[in-house]
Amino acid sequence: MLTMTLAENEQLKVEDLIVRFYTYEGIVKAVEKANLNLRKGETLGVVGETGSGKSVTALTIMALTPTPGKVEGGHIYFRRSTGEIVDVLTLKEEGLLKIRGKEISMIFQEPNAALDPLYTVGDQIAEAILTHRLPEMLEKVGRLEGEETKGLWAFLEKLPVFKGSIKKRLLNEVVRQEIVELLKLMEIPDPERVVDAYPHELSGGMQQRIVIAIALACSPTLLLADEPTTNLDVTVQAQILDLIMRLKRKFGTSVIYITHDMGVIAEISDRVAVMYAGRVVEVAPTMEIFKNPLHPYTRALLESIPRPGLSFKAIPGTVPNLVNPPSGCRFHPRCSYAMERCSRETPELREISKEHLVACFLHGGA
Amino acid sequence: MGSSIKVYIARRLLLVIPTLIGVTLLIFAVTQLFDPVQRASLYVRDPRQMGAVNEIIAKYGLDRPAYMQYFSWLNEVIQGNLGWSQSLHMPVLNALLTRFSATAELAIFAAPITIFVGIYLGKISAVKKDTLVDHATRALSVIGWSLPSFWLGIVLLAFFYGGLGIFSPGRLSPWAEALVRTGEFKVYTGLYTVDSILNLNGAVLLDALSHLVLPVITLTIINVALIMRVMRSSMLEQLGKTYVLSARARGLDEKTVINKHVTKNALISVVTLSGLLTAGMLSGMVITETIFEFKGIGYFAAHAATQLDIPAVLGFALLTGLIFVIANLIVDLLYAYIDPRIRLG
Amino acid sequence: MMSKTKFWSAENPRIKELVFVLKKMRSSPLSIVGLSIVVFFTILAILAPVLAPPQTDRDPYIMPRTGYSPTPKPPSSENIFGTTEGQYDLYYGVIWGARAAYRIGLLVVAVSAIIGIVVGGLAGYYKGVIDEVLMRLTDIILAFPGLILAMAFVVAFGRGLDSITLALILVWWPSYARLIRGEFLRVTAEDFVEAAKAVGCSDLRIMLRHVLPNTIFPMIIMASLDIGSVTLTAAALSFLGLGAPAGYSDWGQIISLSRNWITGVPGNPFAYWHAYIIPGIFLFLFVIGWNLLGDALRDILDPMIRRR
Repeated sequence: MLTMTLAENEQLKVEDLIVRFYTYEGIVKAVEKANLNLRKGETLGVVGETGSGKSVTALTIMALTPTPGKVEGGHIYFRRSTGEIVDVLTLKEEGLLKIRGKEISMIFQEPNAALDPLYTVGDQIAEAILTHRLPEMLEKVGRLEGEETKGLWAFLEKLPVFKGSIKKRLLNEVVRQEIVELLKLMEIPDPERVVDAYPHELSGGMQQRIVIAIALACSPTLLLADEPTTNLDVTVQAQILDLIMRLKRKFGTSVIYITHDMGVIAEISDRVAVMYAGRVVEVAPTMEIFKNPLHPYTRALLESIPRPGLSFKAIPGTVPNLVNPPSGCRFHPRCSYAMERCSRETPELREISKEHLVACFLHGGA
Repeated sequence: MGSSIKVYIARRLLLVIPTLIGVTLLIFAVTQLFDPVQRASLYVRDPRQMGAVNEIIAKYGLDRPAYMQYFSWLNEVIQGNLGWSQSLHMPVLNALLTRFSATAELAIFAAPITIFVGIYLGKISAVKKDTLVDHATRALSVIGWSLPSFWLGIVLLAFFYGGLGIFSPGRLSPWAEALVRTGEFKVYTGLYTVDSILNLNGAVLLDALSHLVLPVITLTIINVALIMRVMRSSMLEQLGKTYVLSARARGLDEKTVINKHVTKNALISVVTLSGLLTAGMLSGMVITETIFEFKGIGYFAAHAATQLDIPAVLGFALLTGLIFVIANLIVDLLYAYIDPRIRLG
Repeated sequence: MMSKTKFWSAENPRIKELVFVLKKMRSSPLSIVGLSIVVFFTILAILAPVLAPPQTDRDPYIMPRTGYSPTPKPPSSENIFGTTEGQYDLYYGVIWGARAAYRIGLLVVAVSAIIGIVVGGLAGYYKGVIDEVLMRLTDIILAFPGLILAMAFVVAFGRGLDSITLALILVWWPSYARLIRGEFLRVTAEDFVEAAKAVGCSDLRIMLRHVLPNTIFPMIIMASLDIGSVTLTAAALSFLGLGAPAGYSDWGQIISLSRNWITGVPGNPFAYWHAYIIPGIFLFLFVIGWNLLGDALRDILDPMIRRR
């Protein structure tokens, strides 16, 4: 039955997702029927202001909606590496543990905060490897074990106290080797030393490379990137972006890249989804969105990018209160093209021209 | 070890000196509240000297300005002369030293139990936040914290000792005391539980342990709230951090996330408090020892206070200050060991 | 520009906060329990002369005696809660004990807070050497467990409730000083203080009108939590015999009168249960009421402080 929900080339589909947060101040309607789809191997840029619901959506894709959030509707269809298609929102913890870190991975905005300060970075990468690639590692150990038949260790192995210690030692070596290779792939200099380093000993750029290493350690099919370069220095930003794109091509990973920076979007995305106040308001290939933005919000976003020589045009108004959001189209209070209808009805996401979807009454969407 | 940690340790050790000086200054300030005749008792080593009060006043300059007195007093203290205790008829230092083992024995049992129970309760109450378990643990801990320790002790004694006839006050039953007095039972450390093992005497061991039950329960009930509260808020703080999300995103199951990552980080905050708690227990639990007639330094201090035995109370206060300063030092050094951010700079 | 809204109008942010606090409290059963207990004891303390009229011209805090026999008598029609060792009326004792508890508790907390505001304010506002010296002083006092330091002071001052009160004040003021200092440091770093200075406000005016009001919430939390601790410590000191004299309506003192009777008589171990259970329950409830209230206030006010 679920095999019908994803097209042949589709990797992920978020359908009518509703997420609400139950807080002291009231019920925050953070995501209100969001729709996204992702094709195999493509980079989908998701852009929006703070409060647009983009992070919550990404976290929900892994079923890691932060408390006090609750998913109240919708589906998230994901094609597993086995070919099987599952609705992430219906999976139990058991099933989710097999997907997180292995088929869907995430990298975060603040690399320093994303690493446990009490463990070495090597330990933390090892966690990902040992959780999902243990059989593969043990197989390598098996091959090595055969060679270790002589010497002191072989004798000690016979004693009950040391039984299994050879295996453990070899496993450590094998995993360590794997980590070093991974670090080299991340273009981290002096990987042998870095393996034993603690997070605080590394620079922000290095830390982010570690976070990426952890995410890619098990070759996931989908990578969720939540503003991974926002908190880094500008020069480092470019390096990390570059790295992500190269790795993506190498592993064939599909990427959902969340950011508020249109410049980054322009550089790396194949397609762009624009989110506002919990809804996806426009989706189109990158070139198309820049050339021909249809939704008033998208237009305003593009116009608000400061450019030398031109006057600065900010979007009037403020981000809506999501406890009491505006009725109808959530953007209508700030929209220069708002019609009477916009305050009554909510437009649906409609395909207007090839590959270009908009949720706006200016362009059909009835 | 990086150089910055050496600096940290050196600086921390050096800081002990001004703190110790501060402690002595405070106690000395309290001594100045008494008149010279009363203060004379702080300087004598045996009762015969008490007759020669005027000589003492002259010798130690008790009628001279305060700052001069401070040095002569400090000099005596460093040499171990804390004065003569009227209520116990022995030098204060001797009294403290001989009674310390009783307090230490109580603390050795009570502190770890309180800390472990507190950590466990704090952990489950954070992990199961807002559930029945959480509310129940927090309610129990508020109850424990609000109980007057002397009242709890009395109620426990009334019920177990009065009602059931078990767990009598004191450190040992009369028959075991007799053994100790006659020398049949050799005292090595002053801790009856340890000594009974060394004497290979199971009966005394059981007796000593049974006398520890009620005081330890009392102390645990009252103090567990402190540790539990800090552990709970520490865990809740860690649970909101990104590395926890990152660990979950790695595919680690909840148990591993909690035990391997969250708990370990949360425990760092608890270390200080645990150290202070242990120090507090080693400083003599005045009320608990009094109720259960557990003759440690707290019992001694309470007895001395009611007799207005100045040197004894002040000597006790001084010892307490010293214990706390050392405990704070140990805790800070422990931090340097546990937290790689401090260890490696 | 300070707005000129009237204090009691609904627009005043302070009143709004107060209403918010009360509403939040309604939702937590424990805080309602705490509040009720506190209200109960407050009424008890205020109405003490009515509920238990003093029978002599002497100090009303001395409990009336119906005899001199050492053995406590169980509750009867004559003594509703029975008598203690020495035949003091327990009913009178526990009711006036509430009053005594408030007397010490409020006095110690209030005076400690005032001293703390002055010391902490000076340290936090002027910083530098003054700050260092004052903070070292608080550090040293805080290095000692409260009970032990209080004992040392009481031995110096002599026995009695006044000694205990003074000793406790000396022990308690440093934590307020630290709190206020911390708040002052935090607030003086904020821009509006710079602005006020630029406009020409005097130092004192800045401290009183701008900085102090912001420190009220943390102070309230600390004070309400402290009343419980102060009462327990004072009761402990009285129990040890360092505080109120025998016969005084002090819960700690009354409980100490029961010490010899906890084993009861052969055949009835709980014969004198009333002598320690009743005063103990009053003391325990009083403390837990204030602790629950303090906890509730902290749970509610803390996020508000952070949000500021």
